[in-house]
Amino acid sequence: MSILSYNGSAIVAMAGKDCVAIAADRRFGIQGQTVALDFQKIYEYGPNLYMGLPGLATDVQTVAQRLKFRVNMYELRENRKMKPQTMLSVVSNLLYERRFGPYFVEPVIAGLDPKTSKPFIASLDLIGCPMITEDFVINGTCAEQLYGMCEALWEPDMSPDVLFEKVSQAMMSSCDRDAISGWGVVVHIIEKDKVTTRTLKARMD
Amino acid sequence: MIPTFGQNATATPKQAHFNPYSFNGGSIMAIAGDDFAVVASDTRLSEGFSIHSRNAPKTYKLTDKTVLASAGFHGDVLTEIKVLEARLKMYEHEHGKKMSSQAIAAMLATILYHKRFFPYYVYNIIGGLDEEGKGCVYSYDPVGSYEREVYRAGGSAGPLLQPLLDNQIGFKNQQGVEKVSLSKDKAIKLIKDIFISAAERDIYTGDSLHLKVVTKEGVSEETFPLRRD
Amino acid sequence: MTERYSFSLTTFSPSGKLVQIEYALAAVAAGAPSVGIKAANGVVLATEKKHKSILYDEHSIHKVEMITKNVGMVYSGMGPDYRVLLKSARKLAQEYYRQYQEHIPTGQIVQRVANVMQEYTQSGGVRPFGVSLLIAGWDEDSETPYLYQCDPSGAYFAWKATAMGKNQTNGKTFLEKRYNEKLELEDAVHTAILTLKESFEGQMTEDNIEIGICDQNGFRRLNPSDVKDYLASIA
Repeated sequence: MSILSYNGSAIVAMAGKDCVAIAADRRFGIQGQTVALDFQKIYEYGPNLYMGLPGLATDVQTVAQRLKFRVNMYELRENRKMKPQTMLSVVSNLLYERRFGPYFVEPVIAGLDPKTSKPFIASLDLIGCPMITEDFVINGTCAEQLYGMCEALWEPDMSPDVLFEKVSQAMMSSCDRDAISGWGVVVHIIEKDKVTTRTLKARMD
Repeated sequence: MIPTFGQNATATPKQAHFNPYSFNGGSIMAIAGDDFAVVASDTRLSEGFSIHSRNAPKTYKLTDKTVLASAGFHGDVLTEIKVLEARLKMYEHEHGKKMSSQAIAAMLATILYHKRFFPYYVYNIIGGLDEEGKGCVYSYDPVGSYEREVYRAGGSAGPLLQPLLDNQIGFKNQQGVEKVSLSKDKAIKLIKDIFISAAERDIYTGDSLHLKVVTKEGVSEETFPLRRD
Repeated sequence: MTERYSFSLTTFSPSGKLVQIEYALAAVAAGAPSVGIKAANGVVLATEKKHKSILYDEHSIHKVEMITKNVGMVYSGMGPDYRVLLKSARKLAQEYYRQYQEHIPTGQIVQRVANVMQEYTQSGGVRPFGVSLLIAGWDEDSETPYLYQCDPSGAYFAWKATAMGKNQTNGKTFLEKRYNEKLELEDAVHTAILTLKESFEGQMTEDNIEIGICDQNGFRRLNPSDVKDYLASIA
């Protein structure tokens, strides 16, 4: 089995009308054995900028910290907030620096452009190849199930409430069909001047 | 010094192994209603990045009351169907009646298990009517572990399709909804929607959707286009 | 072996001054004048480019140069030193673009070029640069023009308008009288030419001055024919 699926994870980001959602499961396990039910996989890098890190838990935390370092240095140096677009480049660079000994994480970025408030969602592979989409991005051991759910549920210009419902349904049903994802779900709905965070109860098996 | 000829003169001999299996893709699905069953598959037959056929349904009518869908290695699918049909005929000659869906389901499990150590590389789903005339679905792994269910998706896009069935037919993760029994029309509409989604993301699923609807009147067929890229 | 003995040439005098930097500033003050003016919708850079002999091919070498799409610069002082800084400035700008997939903001390139100039005041085996730079840029983020000056010490300043090189004090006094906040880019070009003209010896032509402008379309050096038109309109 791949190191990427050692701990298990499900992460999705989805775009709506003037809003984006990012959601992750909360399980931390070692292969089949569930160890924790409150593991953080989504990190905040700005008022409208979030990143989900599925993959090897130790690398998840290391990459999250190294990115925080880079974002902090950028913001001190340039005296401005980092844009989601810029964030994507920074993550891509960080990962490609380890091209031949990679961090086993495949990040998902969700945010709103600070100027235009246009939704921005993107994902990368473990060596930093970026992909920007209009609808949704998915990574983690539960990706296949999430693709099926999101492809059927997604529609353009969803309101924050509808977006929350769709992302939640996608996460819950997908995690139920992945043995190493689930045990609770956290959903962030990012709007221009509000971020709503909800945790969902899920099956505990 | 060993005399050398060419680059690999000192390399150790290697045994080339014949691989008896390949994977030809395809997605299958079956849903049971109160008095009907719908069995569906796409019609693409592929290998790696090439498409062998755009018109190869993976559903097989076994009797007037039973339809089998199978995907995986097409060579094994064909063999398995041949064996099944022979056994079906033998049963009919011996017992003077058609085999019931439950009996076919049980027999398929033993056929698969008989090849436990050189399995048919095939994912099977049976859809049909049981002896009470109710819709039934049986799903299998390649070595014959099986279970009766209400709905099941399998094959290459199985993981994409199954959670959606859980949600839409099983009403999983839905609170306060009335669990009404599924109508035939709604089942067919749902299957179409789900296959359209699967064809978006799975390269081994596409071209056309083929449906076999089993009712007490018999088996009717329907085809529906899917994306072809 | 060499590096063990290569200490910095820029060391403190007993009075606390770094005389090497003062000499560098003297080299700048003796150099050809250049002017920069920030207008409401852009920036202009202008400089005198006189040649020692009529045999020079005057349009083969430039003083006004682009660093990146949205930033350009000009200098007063020593030409060869300027080329070194230009090369590193361009490289720094591309490194930034490589990392962030975004054009470097003017403030950032200024800070980084200034950092290079500062390093040459403290490193071993090198001398400070004999140039001051005027860096003009347009910020895509804030949609505003910027004008910076960068000195051999590594000090940098943001200006509304300034002059450097020979007769810099007169140039600045002239600009103080002419400058106002609502100036448009076209007028700023005229004012820049007039500032140069104050101390210009001989006939000013499109062959012996150079002008660069920076606005929302990016930075560009004016063709001699454009310069000729400007000269004709102020004559």
